[in-house]
Amino acid sequence: MKVGVLSFAHVHAGGFARLLGGMEGVEVLAADPDTDLAAPGEVRGREFADRLGVAYADSYEELFAWGPDKVVVCSENVRHRPPVVLAAAHGVDVLCEKPLATTEEDGAAMVEACRAAGVRLAVAHPVRFSPAYTAVRAAVRSGTAGGVLAVSGANNGYLPTARRRWFADPQLAGGGALMDHTVHIADLLDDLFEASPATTVYAQVNNVLHPGEVDADTAGLVTVEYANGAVATIDCSWSQPQHHPAWGGLQMQVIGDRATLEMDAFDQKVHGFSESSRAPFELPYGVNLDALMLHSFLYGSGGGTSVTDGESGLRSLRIVTAAYRSAREGRSVPVR
Amino acid sequence: MTHLDVGLIGAGGIARAHLPAWIELGARVTILSTDGNAEKLAAKYAESGVTATHSLAALLDRSTVVDICTPTFTHRELALDAIAAGKHVICEKPLALTASEAAEMADAADAAGVLLFPAHVVRYFPAYAAMAGSVGKGAVGTPAVLRFTRSGAYPVWAPWFSDPALSGGILMDQMIHDLDFARMLAGEVVRVHARLRGRQEPGAKPGDVAVGTAVLTHASGAVSHVLGVWGLPDLQFRTTFRVAGPGGILEHDSTALPGFRILAQGTRPPGEGIPGSPMTESPYLTELREFAGAVDGGPAPRVTARDGVEAVRIAAAAAASARTGEPVELKISEEAAR
Repeated sequence: MKVGVLSFAHVHAGGFARLLGGMEGVEVLAADPDTDLAAPGEVRGREFADRLGVAYADSYEELFAWGPDKVVVCSENVRHRPPVVLAAAHGVDVLCEKPLATTEEDGAAMVEACRAAGVRLAVAHPVRFSPAYTAVRAAVRSGTAGGVLAVSGANNGYLPTARRRWFADPQLAGGGALMDHTVHIADLLDDLFEASPATTVYAQVNNVLHPGEVDADTAGLVTVEYANGAVATIDCSWSQPQHHPAWGGLQMQVIGDRATLEMDAFDQKVHGFSESSRAPFELPYGVNLDALMLHSFLYGSGGGTSVTDGESGLRSLRIVTAAYRSAREGRSVPVR
Repeated sequence: MTHLDVGLIGAGGIARAHLPAWIELGARVTILSTDGNAEKLAAKYAESGVTATHSLAALLDRSTVVDICTPTFTHRELALDAIAAGKHVICEKPLALTASEAAEMADAADAAGVLLFPAHVVRYFPAYAAMAGSVGKGAVGTPAVLRFTRSGAYPVWAPWFSDPALSGGILMDQMIHDLDFARMLAGEVVRVHARLRGRQEPGAKPGDVAVGTAVLTHASGAVSHVLGVWGLPDLQFRTTFRVAGPGGILEHDSTALPGFRILAQGTRPPGEGIPGSPMTESPYLTELREFAGAVDGGPAPRVTARDGVEAVRIAAAAAASARTGEPVELKISEEAAR
């Protein structure tokens, strides 16, 4: 199978390329032509491909001429639409980094382009593949948990600018922490609630964590109400200290009327303390969610978890765009 | 410390937590209740000189301090009676069901020159006190985003808890602990949004679930999330917090590091009611000692009457938001502005 990686803008691009390159029977070709927006010192393009040990094409056209079976899009958030539409035009299934886009207009156009071309549009939400989440889903779908009343979720992380500066540039990322992190839990709930629509959103953001360092919102709380009656509050903040041994994490408590459940997608680790570095360290041993997601994208779910589709990614994006409206207006807003 | 004569009103769960602490502090305690439990509780502690009475006048006559441990809807009247009699008052949280009633109580205490101490006992739980001290010294910098959760079995043992007209509901009765704490850490609150789900009506039975979720915006720009759960009968009592700022984080889960735990006892215990903190002294003792010291002319307690009023104001705003789904704006009070 031939898989193209379009752009190294996203911090996940390198990891995806390595994982794909390590899969048996998978050939990888990467292209990263649009490096004009990269911050000084960021390694991109052919140099980055060489470091990863993957083959490199100078342009997307050259990459598509190679005849990929599937492509993965890892461009800046505001630049997802052109490569996805290009993939659709070439009849190639595409996995797009999250969020699907930064505007509903872009997201809807991408979904429509792929639908019209008959190609699959998937969105990279790897946490759906977490065994912890699968257990939550099983408890809810089986009825064991009863009706879901409320959800409290947190997806915290480092300020993601150390490797890619654009993440905190609203012009390129479409926002800040609210844009970056809300969608992971929104995506889990879209799946958990079987696409029950979000009806209203209330959000508050601030930039107390990294004042003067970045322009974007770095902390946020988002409350989402769903047509099925559930209410979820999500902490999407980049509040993980930069030198913490863990990059962050994703936790979710689900309060049903017959059970209360809690999951942590990244807590499978051994905790250590190093005398030489005088610091704690961690040995994560959980399954690689990215690898599971990529495998499902390439070969199908085989009855297991499917990768988020474009329609679902668009629903999660609408929650985020509503959240920004709410934060600006200081009131709860309907989700369009 | 001079001799303490305490009139304890109420003989329910909180009274049973306060009474051993008062005895340890050397107080002579008189208990009043209308349900016959005062006699039973006094009999249990007869060796410590605890007596029961049926008369508020008799209780006031025998006391220098009145400890109000009754259901919330009775707080205002009892407190005003005690204040009018010139007694120092410790009042279980919330001070009252509305901010105006709570302010009336605080103003009356001010005018009478007595203390009105809202018993926000979480301020005395060791993990919370340690965290607050550290945040106060700048350990995380300016708090930016704060999360609090509080969950346990639905308090079905006393029917008034599930009646919002009597208790104010989960936002006012349970989440007020964390609303108070969030305000203490991150400052005055200017906007509140809250939603409620599950059983929020009188007549709750074991197996019912009530949930509240509230988002506070502080004048500093900080945001706080407070989650409260009155849950299933086997939901272990648990509180968690995570306070993040530019300088770092502080986090805690009361069930993660209990110091002592029962790993098996043959049956699954139902969620317990009033939390203890068995590896340290009772936070109720810490709380009452600090109050007793203030009565004796010592430093003011860490919780002021105004803190109690503001906590009610935030909880009442949250309840108003929960009714409409819209955020409620709060004006910073004149005291806070000063």
